[in-house]
Amino acid sequence: MRRADQITGVVVLVFSLAVIEGGRRMPPSGTFGPGAGFLPFWLGVAMAILSIILLVNATRESAQASEGSPFPRGQAILAILKTIGGLAAFILLLETLGFLVSIALLTAFLLRCVERVRWLTTAMVAVANAIGMYIVFQMLLGVSLPKSIFGF
Amino acid sequence: MDIFSNILMGFKVALSVQNLLFCLIGTVYGTLIGVLPGIGPVVGVAILIPITFGLNATTAIITMAGVYYGAMYGGSTTSILINVPGESASVVTCLDGYALAKKGRAAPALGMAALASFIAGTLAVVLLTFIAPALSNFALSFGPPEYFALAFMGLTLVTSLAGESMVKGLMSGVFGLIVSCIGVDAVSGDERFTFGLLSLLDGAGFIGVAVGLFAVAEVLCNLEDSMEQVFIQAKFTLRSLFPTRQDWKDSWWPIWRSSFMAFFLGNLPGAGATIASFLAYGMEKKLSKHPEKFGTGVMEGVAAPEAANNAAAGGSMVPLLALGIPSSGTSAVLLGALLVHGLKPGPLLFQSSPEFVWGLIASMYIANIMLLVLNLPLVGFWASLLRVPYKILMPLIVTISAVGVFTTDNNIFDMWVMFVFGVIGYLMRKLKFPAAPVVLALVLGPMVERTLRQSLTISHGDIMIFFTRPISAVLVTIALISLCAPLLRGVMDWRKKVVEIS
Repeated sequence: MRRADQITGVVVLVFSLAVIEGGRRMPPSGTFGPGAGFLPFWLGVAMAILSIILLVNATRESAQASEGSPFPRGQAILAILKTIGGLAAFILLLETLGFLVSIALLTAFLLRCVERVRWLTTAMVAVANAIGMYIVFQMLLGVSLPKSIFGF
Repeated sequence: MDIFSNILMGFKVALSVQNLLFCLIGTVYGTLIGVLPGIGPVVGVAILIPITFGLNATTAIITMAGVYYGAMYGGSTTSILINVPGESASVVTCLDGYALAKKGRAAPALGMAALASFIAGTLAVVLLTFIAPALSNFALSFGPPEYFALAFMGLTLVTSLAGESMVKGLMSGVFGLIVSCIGVDAVSGDERFTFGLLSLLDGAGFIGVAVGLFAVAEVLCNLEDSMEQVFIQAKFTLRSLFPTRQDWKDSWWPIWRSSFMAFFLGNLPGAGATIASFLAYGMEKKLSKHPEKFGTGVMEGVAAPEAANNAAAGGSMVPLLALGIPSSGTSAVLLGALLVHGLKPGPLLFQSSPEFVWGLIASMYIANIMLLVLNLPLVGFWASLLRVPYKILMPLIVTISAVGVFTTDNNIFDMWVMFVFGVIGYLMRKLKFPAAPVVLALVLGPMVERTLRQSLTISHGDIMIFFTRPISAVLVTIALISLCAPLLRGVMDWRKKVVEIS
């Protein structure tokens, strides 16, 4: 946790400096009283102080007490990256492929490539999920879901 | 008399066919959320916000409150049968619940959990009926400094009690406030942190952030460990579910004590259902004549925490309805839902939307009865649901979250917000930053900022305005004490205990 906290501290410190700078650049109040940048500026200052405390605490912690990285390795991290990638691809392709196809594809991808479920189960759940969600959202709740460029 | 006629009007609202139907849907879905490990009430309610978007506000919130309660009822099922808590407020139920199941007493333990939940839940609604309107009346005299002090105290208490490290909790809270600044400044009209993106003018969007931080991040975390469980087989006839006379004798007073304690604990910001259930268990163990038997399967070890988590859930509705201040992650999400539906939480809510408030309160009485019926005879059905593998569930949670977020505004951008906050939420969990303060700060942010700037404008920039007015002075002092608490060793030890057990 020690190394992880140190890295987090530095990243958050940079982030808070950006927030402070952003707050400083906001226009001052037109009338009287605090303007738009007032709260962001002080939040940035608070965040900077907290990240320095985190950094100092982590550095002072004895090296023995620190365990390894909090993140998983191997299969687990691969599954997580696949899920994140699949979700991003889904959002990108939603308006091209349309709701039905992209939901079925995302479900199938998660079942087969991430969870390693059998093909038959994968196909059945994917189709059922796409149709079920179509019924709930489009027909019962009356939401207009994106159609594919082919019109379904 | 006034309350009496109000609650009657509430029942008129709650007993409409539509509201009854959605209350039932909410409680069934909530029980399901509670039963299935890996999805808690926060996720359940967050997913529902977009789905119920098309309904009218009262029906939507009735559904969500039903989910909150349902999760508290359902959470005990997994604790007792497979020694895996369905949600965090049922962790302590595992101790004696699973021990009872191993002794072959799973059925009466499940029955006791449902009955204790019913007693506590109903007591909490009765107390809520009387306390919430009184509190909101009292709060009518509040000005901007009092509101700022109240929100500030709520934020500091929640953040200082959340997670292992107070610094990290505070960082989560400040991060949430920074996110809440995104968009057009409500006072001056200037753009803040929008990076020229049109979609950010209205802010980052509460729903995308909440679903990302809770649902998506939860799924990513669960990918790491296999969710296989050992299932204790038990037969559930209606008769076997009823606890024996001796069970009642052991559990009667623990149920009442825990309910009262947890209700008032639930009123306070920061002390949610999880902490209440642990404190109730600890209190009963201390008061018991045979404390050494706790953990080996005693009925009051199931009854006390299950009563406590329901009473605390009810208790957390008091500040939410009377003041517009949420006291836990789930009630923060509920507050977000109120805002999404255009209601203005705060002491005026009782006057501006009486049908909503009283309809919601009346629906809680009904929800408790529905849940008792759902849980007693149908517990065998819920238990069988535990056989649905998490592998199948995971893709369903992901797709429902994504589509749900999309449907609120028919905007792809909201899904990207969910995506980004899903990744941030995962990193936060792994690095031990609590997620609840982010949502709480995001919801309270606009109010904190508005009241802070109004107060400073009134006082011409003098910060002492928060200390010269008595109510705000008390609240700000409590907040500052909670921030300085790490300096006091005794408090630190106590906090460590609370955090360790939760």
